[in-house]
Amino acid sequence: MTIRQTISLFFVTLGITASTFGAEGDVDFSRDILPLLSDNCFKCHGPDEANRKAKLRFDKHDASLEELKKGRATIVPGKSSQSEIYARLTAEDPDDRMPPPDTGKKLSEEEIELIRKWIDGGAKWAGHWAFQPPEPQKIPAPVKGWRVNNPVDNFIHASLARAGLPPQERAARETLIRRVTLDLTGLPPTIEEVDKFLADKSEKAYENVVRRLLDSPRYGEHMARFWLDAARYGDTHGLHLDNERSIWPYRDWVIDSFNSNQPFDRFTVEQLAGDLLPDSTLDQKVATGFNRCNVTTGEGGSIDDEYYVRYAVDRVETTATVWLGLTAGCAACHDHKFDPLTTKEFYQLFSYYFSLTERAMDGNKLLPPPIIKAPTMSQRRERKDLEKQAAAITSEIDELLANSGYKDPRPNEPLGDLGQQERVWIEDQLPAGAKPQGNGTPPWKFVAGPKHPVLSGKKSHTRVSTSDAITQHFFTDATDRLKITENSKLFAYVYLDPAKPPKTIQLQFNDGTWEHRATWGEDKAFLAGKHGAANHQMGKLPETGKWVRLEVPAKVVGLKPGAELNGWAFTQVNGTVHWDQAGIISISLSEEQRRSQYAWEQFTVHDNYSGVPGDVQKALKVERSKRSDDQAKLITRHFLRNIHPGSKGKVAEQLKKQKVINDRLAAIQKSMPSSMIMEDRKSPRQAYVLERGQYTEKREKVSSTVPSWLAPPVKDAPANRLGLAQWLVQPRHPLTARVTVNRFWQQFFGTGLVRTSEDFGVQGEHPSHPELLDWLALDFVGSGWDVKRFLAQLVLSATYQQSSRIEKNKLAADPENRLLARGPRFRLDAEVIRDQALAVSGLMNKQIGGKSVKPYQPAGLWKPVGFGGSNTSVFKQDKGDKLYRRSMYTFWKRTSPPPSMETFDAPNRETCQVRRARTNTPLQALVLMNDVQFVEAARKFAERVMGEDGDVDGKAVFAFRSILGRRPETAELTALARIYREYLVEFKAAGGSAAKLLSVGESPRDQKLDVNELAAWTMVTHLVLNLSETVTKE
Amino acid sequence: MDPLLEAGLVETRRHFFARSAGGIGTAALASLVNPDLFAEKKATSGLPGMPHFAPKAKRVIYLFMSGAPSQLDMWDYKPKMKEYYNKDLPDSIRNGQRITTMTSGQKRFPVAPSIFKFNQHGAHGAWVSELLPHTAKMVDDLAVIKTVNTEAINHDPAITYIQTGSQLPGRPSTGAWMSYGLGSMNDNLPAFMVLHSTVNGGFGGQALYSRLWGAGFLSNRHQGVSLRSAGDPVLYLSNPAGMSDSMRRKMLDELGRLNRERFAAVGDPEIQARISQYEMAYRMQTSVPELTDISGESKATLEMYGPEVKKPGTFAANCLLARRLAERGVRFTQIFIRQWDQHGNLPKDIRRQCGIVDRPSWALVQDLKQRGMLDDTLVIWGGEFGRTIYCQGGLSTKNYGRDHHPRCYTKWMTGAGIKGGIVYGETDDFSYNVVDKPVHIHDLNATILNQFGVDHEKLTYRHQGRDFRLTDVHGEVISGLLA
Repeated sequence: MTIRQTISLFFVTLGITASTFGAEGDVDFSRDILPLLSDNCFKCHGPDEANRKAKLRFDKHDASLEELKKGRATIVPGKSSQSEIYARLTAEDPDDRMPPPDTGKKLSEEEIELIRKWIDGGAKWAGHWAFQPPEPQKIPAPVKGWRVNNPVDNFIHASLARAGLPPQERAARETLIRRVTLDLTGLPPTIEEVDKFLADKSEKAYENVVRRLLDSPRYGEHMARFWLDAARYGDTHGLHLDNERSIWPYRDWVIDSFNSNQPFDRFTVEQLAGDLLPDSTLDQKVATGFNRCNVTTGEGGSIDDEYYVRYAVDRVETTATVWLGLTAGCAACHDHKFDPLTTKEFYQLFSYYFSLTERAMDGNKLLPPPIIKAPTMSQRRERKDLEKQAAAITSEIDELLANSGYKDPRPNEPLGDLGQQERVWIEDQLPAGAKPQGNGTPPWKFVAGPKHPVLSGKKSHTRVSTSDAITQHFFTDATDRLKITENSKLFAYVYLDPAKPPKTIQLQFNDGTWEHRATWGEDKAFLAGKHGAANHQMGKLPETGKWVRLEVPAKVVGLKPGAELNGWAFTQVNGTVHWDQAGIISISLSEEQRRSQYAWEQFTVHDNYSGVPGDVQKALKVERSKRSDDQAKLITRHFLRNIHPGSKGKVAEQLKKQKVINDRLAAIQKSMPSSMIMEDRKSPRQAYVLERGQYTEKREKVSSTVPSWLAPPVKDAPANRLGLAQWLVQPRHPLTARVTVNRFWQQFFGTGLVRTSEDFGVQGEHPSHPELLDWLALDFVGSGWDVKRFLAQLVLSATYQQSSRIEKNKLAADPENRLLARGPRFRLDAEVIRDQALAVSGLMNKQIGGKSVKPYQPAGLWKPVGFGGSNTSVFKQDKGDKLYRRSMYTFWKRTSPPPSMETFDAPNRETCQVRRARTNTPLQALVLMNDVQFVEAARKFAERVMGEDGDVDGKAVFAFRSILGRRPETAELTALARIYREYLVEFKAAGGSAAKLLSVGESPRDQKLDVNELAAWTMVTHLVLNLSETVTKE
Repeated sequence: MDPLLEAGLVETRRHFFARSAGGIGTAALASLVNPDLFAEKKATSGLPGMPHFAPKAKRVIYLFMSGAPSQLDMWDYKPKMKEYYNKDLPDSIRNGQRITTMTSGQKRFPVAPSIFKFNQHGAHGAWVSELLPHTAKMVDDLAVIKTVNTEAINHDPAITYIQTGSQLPGRPSTGAWMSYGLGSMNDNLPAFMVLHSTVNGGFGGQALYSRLWGAGFLSNRHQGVSLRSAGDPVLYLSNPAGMSDSMRRKMLDELGRLNRERFAAVGDPEIQARISQYEMAYRMQTSVPELTDISGESKATLEMYGPEVKKPGTFAANCLLARRLAERGVRFTQIFIRQWDQHGNLPKDIRRQCGIVDRPSWALVQDLKQRGMLDDTLVIWGGEFGRTIYCQGGLSTKNYGRDHHPRCYTKWMTGAGIKGGIVYGETDDFSYNVVDKPVHIHDLNATILNQFGVDHEKLTYRHQGRDFRLTDVHGEVISGLLA
């Protein structure tokens, strides 16, 4: 055994964490004893009441001191020999021995010795450290001769000094700028950026780099990527059909939020409860997408109640992992075995998420409600501009109209009879834009006389059925829409074949939903037996053998004034039916009446103010004599501009311009993406404790409440998600800030101060630097949860800036570098590896945000797994610059994630993940060796190399520095130059293979460059892209 | 140093340090008292102390029938049902059990007896329907389990459940657990491989999900690697166009040299591990094409699997590849074939499916047997749940459909210490409820692990403060299935 192994053995056998390398000799209950009790005893003697044995629990102080029946106390402080726990731990008789041998649990002699020491030392009890609020910490005195940049270093140095390990020198400047640029933006520095830093001799040179990086929009993208793992963001639903879903505006919100340095407490509140904030903004609603990212199903046969429960459980688990660092999920089935969270408390948290308006079945839709239209950044800009133009034109119109001297010709006359207008919508063909659909091929059959009855025009449409199945033809998406006004009636002509009459006919109207039905004859069509405000039984079938006009008052099928139809369905059960001419009858003002403001005023009240803007409506509702000047003017202005036939002409030109603007605004509105959001039901759904987590096993009723043993509820906080969020971000909360700063630490140093960044509970790891963790947490809260400031503090520390070279003695003493006697060094994440290649090749498309894209992936990955009816069962690769967007925009199909990402440990985003593994596998080698994306990047990179002035050596230096920042050592340079020459000879000899290699990837090749030279350089850049250093943050 | 050993060391070192905080995992402790782990000898990258006891099985080939085949038409012979044709399923049988919302709205639940003929086969007279003439020939080798049951009633949760022990995503699959616990038996191929089968030349049917062969919270290195029938058999295996093997070799030599120089400068052991991984990748570039090249198979062998064996991607071709993978020391091979979800037109569709799987399944077992490999290769056949005795949709004497049925269904196992020639468990006359010897899917998984010398309660992984295992907190080894 080597020395290193002996040392490792020593520490591990004692159950000691990195933190104890430097800690003082005393036994620390929270650090040393509680984990032992938790791991070995709590399963039977812990918080879980149902499984507690012998009514004995060790998770609470008083309970542990309890007298046992035998008369011996479990723990007698100061006297291990009288303590039952010690007797049982050391008992020879297997029947008395604890833990019982069949549990497979066993304490080592050293562990038992620790317990003895602890009892003899007075059995001092403390709660679990993470459940106590962080305490202000004294900053340790600096160690002489060790460079200190900020308090982070004081804390780190204190434990290094105890361990007898000195910190390392500052990393070389090239290494440092590459490290910090990768860490803050996920991209490598350019050679220009490196040179600038090298040339900057000022004190602030490094700090300037840090500031520049924090201001870069790339920063927000990079930070968002980590957050999206936690949010389990994906572009598909995740279960069963795994169809596409649209929630990327939420992803863009996260990017924007990091870039604008939104304080972390606001960031939290908006994601958990943005919709519940007073006067919540569009952005705040979009933010709530966080808890719509969970996987959902639309699988036929599923039971709603089961999934309502599953979704709420997932949201509690995710919220608990991300903000509390707690594994709440255990408590869904039974009281937590290790942490004090009870099942009841779990379902009280569950209750916050149990009352959403979402449906259990996502319908496999792109946008399962609740959703919101969310303009992209460029749409916002354009809309703002258009709205400004529109305002200018409006005031121009107002001015013209104000000077027109309008006088109402009949200011006091009652309204009188109205005009009636009929509009035919379907006659021989469908309205513009309509998409014909239905049963049979083709679903719509237009037929002509004389073989068929035709009422008007040249054709009627018909359907023949001989079965009792419901059958229909219909259309949707008509762009020429049918507007419903007050008292509108819909009509259609029908001809029933006397030889084969149907049993039922039904008309359905679509104004966004199909929930508007009128039925004649037997009650056998859609929603049979369920008549209501939108499903009307009209009466018997019309007479057969003749054309009959059917009329349906819009009201009886639940269509309100202002609604617009885009679809119409003709449905029947059995028989042969012909239909002709269909449309709407509207009751409206005559031309003459429209010249009178008062006539219009009377009419619009009846018309339910259809088409009248809100402020005008409000004014109209005020009695005429009581209207203010402004109100009167507002009404007249609206009337003249929109209703009066004469004055409309005076502003024709302006109206034309206005129409152009409005059309454009409408087009923006239409192309605007939507995003899934949170919304609570008006009346909350009752939550219950669910026995063993089974949705059918309801027990005690519970309401939305926070576990107050962690932190007291916030005064006057509402009992909804907003209250939950406010509770999480209260400054004295023991977990939120600690868990958050720990995740940031993990991001930069590779491992958190608490390694188990997802578990701060009793089973989690004790922090390596508890004082530093508390100091950082309080500092973070004290700064107003300022994320950029916090990260700057980390990267400006001397600790972060150390060289990451691994010395043998340090490797032996601290193989995982938990003490940070050197700088961080670890493999880059999947996305960074790909983005780095895109960046150095010059291929990278820098667009921020927008719909996800589908870059290269090997053919035939989705088909073998996808459900036939799924809209993601066939992968259709994108083209052009969409192939080269940053990896965070890659379309994430959760049941078959992007393979090159998955290979480098990216999660599948089915569940919340706050810590990625870092493996080192042959499949990763294959990706870098052969993935089109990397081979193509090598070629484009080689083109850049060849574009450099200089000889072979100069070009090789450029290639090397582009990706690694540093200059190659002599041996490295010699190797690159040599293989370039060797490959050049080889390509020249092997005719055609150079051209083949250069044809990999869809970007065009620079035809001006010599094909063999380019291929040889491509091999060099390919080699450089595969270097271990390339995929490592050094 | 052996690359796998070295990779294993990196992993193991992490593993036990990961556990050194809140108490020491038994595995980590074992590694400390087992200095062999640190010795330079040929080793797998499994956990120290594994297997827990002498294993019967070295490897498994799992023939997964996705979509849920009807036990009623193949295995679970219910002659009394003839009298019940088109009569309602008695309430006393359904007993208020939940059913899917695809049929819960049906006004009637008419019994649909199987139209297929059943005959007795083998020394113990097992009933097998005419749909499986080849499989019927080998019932003396099979343990046919008629009482497999689950709680999930829809495909996604059910297949996730049987593959990972949980109805919800996030847990490691069975193959990943085995790779994690037992490691790999070969230097050139992954420990866990997955093959997808075409049906009539195409894919379709119920969806599959990468989580079914995923590693969940275990290291990604344990996830199943797909062996594909089109394109690169293993993703990114082939060198790009224009890059010859010698060019690749030169590049790797140079890469290794530069990486070693870097190691000398910065001392990071990850660099050494990476050098080994590149070498294994290079070896895979040779070993995988060799694996998929079946030109050396004898005529007799090919004939046994049937004519489809020569068409890449078919179930027959995949069965033959599974045997080749088993020979090369791949521990866990899983073949998926879909389109068993027969809600309607069951007689026609099940005939097609059986026509595809019957002969190759039989041939695979014979092939293993002939090579003496059945003794330590476990073969498993079956789906995620069963189907109902009552008809979904229209019932006639020639046609019917069946809905999902989780309460009992049939799977079979053979080889590696499984008792042959038995039919295990009994269901009621309607194949609706288990009346004797239930086998929950957790029990099944516990039994599979048992054959590998793994105590399913002890193969655990600490994640989020809890020791997770494949069988959650359930599962019992079914001793009645063991020889």
